Amino acid sequence: MNATRAQTYSPASVAALPWGRWSLRAVALIWLGLMIALPLAVLFEHGLREGIVRFWAEITNPLALAAVRLTIFAAAVMTLINAAMGTLTAYVLVRYRFFGSRLFNSLIDLPFAIPTLVTGVMLVLLYGPQRTLGAWLEARGAHVIFARPGIVLALLFITYPFVIRTVQPVLMAIEREQEEAAWTLGASRWQTFSKVILPMITPAIISGALLSFARALGEFGSIVVVAGNIPRSTLTAPVYVFGQIESQNQMGASAVSILLLALSFTLMLLVDWMQGKRGGGHVAR
Amino acid sequence: MMLKHDGTNLSVADVGQFAKLSHIIILALSFLAAAGCGGPSDSNSEATLTLGAYTTPREAYNKAIIPEFQRRWKAKTGQEVEFQESYQGSGAQSRAITSGFEADIAALSLESDVTRIAEAGQAGQPGQPGQPGLIRHDWQANQYRGIVSTSLVVIAVRPGNPLGVRDWPDLADLTRRGLKVLTPDPKTSGGAQWNIVAIYGAALRGYAGVPKGDPRAAREFLGSVLRNVSIMDKGARESITNFEKGVGDVAITYENEVLVGRQAGQKYDYVIPRSTVLIENPVALVDAYADKHGVRQAAEGFIDFLWTRDAQRVFARYGLRPVEPATAQEVAAQFQPAGDVWKIDFLGGWKKVSQDIFGPNGVYTKSFEELHTSP
Amino acid sequence: MSQDRALTGQEFELRPESRKRADRPKGLEWALVVLAILYPVALAAGPLFAIVWGALSSGFGAMMRQLTSPEAVNALKLTLLLSFAATALNTVFGLVVAMVLTRDDFKGRRVLNGLIDLPFAFSPVIAGFTLILLFGRNGWFVNLIDALNLRVVFALPGMLMATTFISLPFVARAVAPVLRHVGREQENVAYTMGAAYWRTFWSVTLPNIRWGLLYGVSLTFARAVGEFGAVLVVGGGVTRFTETATLYIYRSLDDRNEVGAYAMVLALAVISICLLWLMEYARKHAQDE
Repeated sequence: MNATRAQTYSPASVAALPWGRWSLRAVALIWLGLMIALPLAVLFEHGLREGIVRFWAEITNPLALAAVRLTIFAAAVMTLINAAMGTLTAYVLVRYRFFGSRLFNSLIDLPFAIPTLVTGVMLVLLYGPQRTLGAWLEARGAHVIFARPGIVLALLFITYPFVIRTVQPVLMAIEREQEEAAWTLGASRWQTFSKVILPMITPAIISGALLSFARALGEFGSIVVVAGNIPRSTLTAPVYVFGQIESQNQMGASAVSILLLALSFTLMLLVDWMQGKRGGGHVAR
Repeated sequence: MMLKHDGTNLSVADVGQFAKLSHIIILALSFLAAAGCGGPSDSNSEATLTLGAYTTPREAYNKAIIPEFQRRWKAKTGQEVEFQESYQGSGAQSRAITSGFEADIAALSLESDVTRIAEAGQAGQPGQPGQPGLIRHDWQANQYRGIVSTSLVVIAVRPGNPLGVRDWPDLADLTRRGLKVLTPDPKTSGGAQWNIVAIYGAALRGYAGVPKGDPRAAREFLGSVLRNVSIMDKGARESITNFEKGVGDVAITYENEVLVGRQAGQKYDYVIPRSTVLIENPVALVDAYADKHGVRQAAEGFIDFLWTRDAQRVFARYGLRPVEPATAQEVAAQFQPAGDVWKIDFLGGWKKVSQDIFGPNGVYTKSFEELHTSP
Repeated sequence: MSQDRALTGQEFELRPESRKRADRPKGLEWALVVLAILYPVALAAGPLFAIVWGALSSGFGAMMRQLTSPEAVNALKLTLLLSFAATALNTVFGLVVAMVLTRDDFKGRRVLNGLIDLPFAFSPVIAGFTLILLFGRNGWFVNLIDALNLRVVFALPGMLMATTFISLPFVARAVAPVLRHVGREQENVAYTMGAAYWRTFWSVTLPNIRWGLLYGVSLTFARAVGEFGAVLVVGGGVTRFTETATLYIYRSLDDRNEVGAYAMVLALAVISICLLWLMEYARKHAQDE
């Protein structure tokens, strides 16, 4: 809970507000209501329109389940890799100074800026069977594009900044003194890291990991280009939903969408809760 | 964090930025209103036709037929016609039109996609009882039954056909384990539905090495081909371009996709199986939208144009087999001869096939589920 | 309810001293550095290079010809238009939401807070789908739309709504922590001195949050430019009219127009990198304050 206690307006400012504080509140609520609550409502209404039995049938449809399972599996694999590499990258950026480190730091946010479709196209270009690298890999039986590794690769690229950016601030805030104290007491660099630093940054790592996981659940633009859409092996849930939207079964699309949404949103609530528990990072007033 | 501010720090730039923002907002909102209202402006001197088509004839329409029509129509009536074209998988396009994509003309891959549009909004549709359909005339009334071009289901192979694929049995899991077959997803692609129909029908007719006239055997055969399918793209075009990129060993596709691809410089060969289905592509005027936009005359003119010798020649140029008899004769040499070619009537017509093969308990649906959900 | 996540890359807790204490790596530590750099290079540099190479494979002239064709130009124009409009809307309303979140207290605030994050949880395809459910021929608002003779889905308004939706949270989430951090002191001072609400907002609040705001705005714009799934579902892909840059790329690959596709990818990549520079610039300035 943020430490800014509920602050009431001073009498002067209430008078200063053109139509009272309600006007601003109303605008905010109407905006969010229209833009967010409405789509959410229509999705739920449509998905549950024919009753809970039909809803259940749709989400337990073998193909839907397979798609959701694959999505979760790919996202999980990606998250593990991301957590490890993200922590490493954040540590390297914070603790070391080397040529190009500032440039590197700036480039980290690149995946936020690049369209996901472009990511997919780039991956196919590089790892597709016709290209030199892809052909080389295919010859050795390593299928990347149109196979599961391709999916994980695309997800890794897109969620690259998440863990890094959640861990960096925490690492920087850690008192250098604690680390140095550990060294003077004879701990090795690794011991310092695992016993002193790691416990402190673990919540941040988990936050970043959960965020990237939630992001990966809904990823579409890169997957649709890079994966092969074969159920159980390369058909992810968002692409499955896409197929359902464009086919007879719009109810199936709504049902699985609701499921995906519930999953993602739960994860995000979890992240919020964790970050809240971590306590104030921001200066309170 | 030091807060350096003393009231005079508000730079001109900041205010300017916000003023610009407000202008943009006003612009955006009025733009939204303008773009939303009505639609393309129509007068007697100009009209805008919206074409909703499937992926395959993209070049034929975009590069030749539409420009030629625009020329002729202007000469004949003085009206300038502008075209808005959308090309995507036949099923997807059909559903887009029924969801609100206001196409004046629908040029799709198979009859049932047009039927869906015709029946859209009629009694029985959720929420809109009694509303008339989007197509209100008998679009199959002319001598061609509304079919504007034809093609065949063929098998595209690598140059020189290194795997020696000649016919349907070569694609089945029984004879060729590990063969990677490409075909699009029948949920969205009309071409994919034609592919499935071809395999199943050929098997039923005894050309697949399974007993003739035996639905179970045919279905098993279909399953054994499906087992080798490695990717299912959204549309026929996506499928063949993936094949070109080196994915897969063979691709089941339209004959004209292959021909267009070869025109574009792609190198692959193709074989026509001994028995295959005649792909018939319909075109229909979407009354509801054409009337709403006031472009009925131009739209009808365009559709009529499609059956003229010149337009049919264009279709042939882009690999589609013409329906107009004289043109078909003229270009016969361009196309490989085919053996046993049958129409969808053999399986009872599209209405029946939509249910029996692609319906919830259809042959394909069940085979597909079995394949991909068994442990 | 919650702290705002550091997802937006703000590092307001950075104390200048920590930065100076970064060492040069010694010995085995270089391995860590190299690993940390090689990883993204493997992920990204190869593909990026491949794009440049693909775009220029037929020569610079051919690439420019593709980029200046009416389809490409219209696609870019549409993308930029949609992005500007969506960003404008989200900036204004994002500011309002952030102000209400941090300066007001009422029962529904937690709900508000939760709602803002929802677009992050939506897959873009689902977002587009809900718009069709709302405004399509069988949708909730079909009668209203028919009565007003509007075209929403498969037309620009629908695409604008989709783009606005998926880029919604960034400004609010970027600005809220700054607002919280900055606190009410200065504003209250202004009020007690008799300043009106808007004057206070302009002269006191806005300048304090401008770097956070800039960061949020550039993130929003970047997200809007890159949108694909939602506009694919709700847009209809009509060339030159409802085809954005991303849809253009998707279609060009289908048309076997590889040079055209990669050229547009390059164009979008350049735009993205410019936005990235803007983001980093804003982030840095936010730190320095």
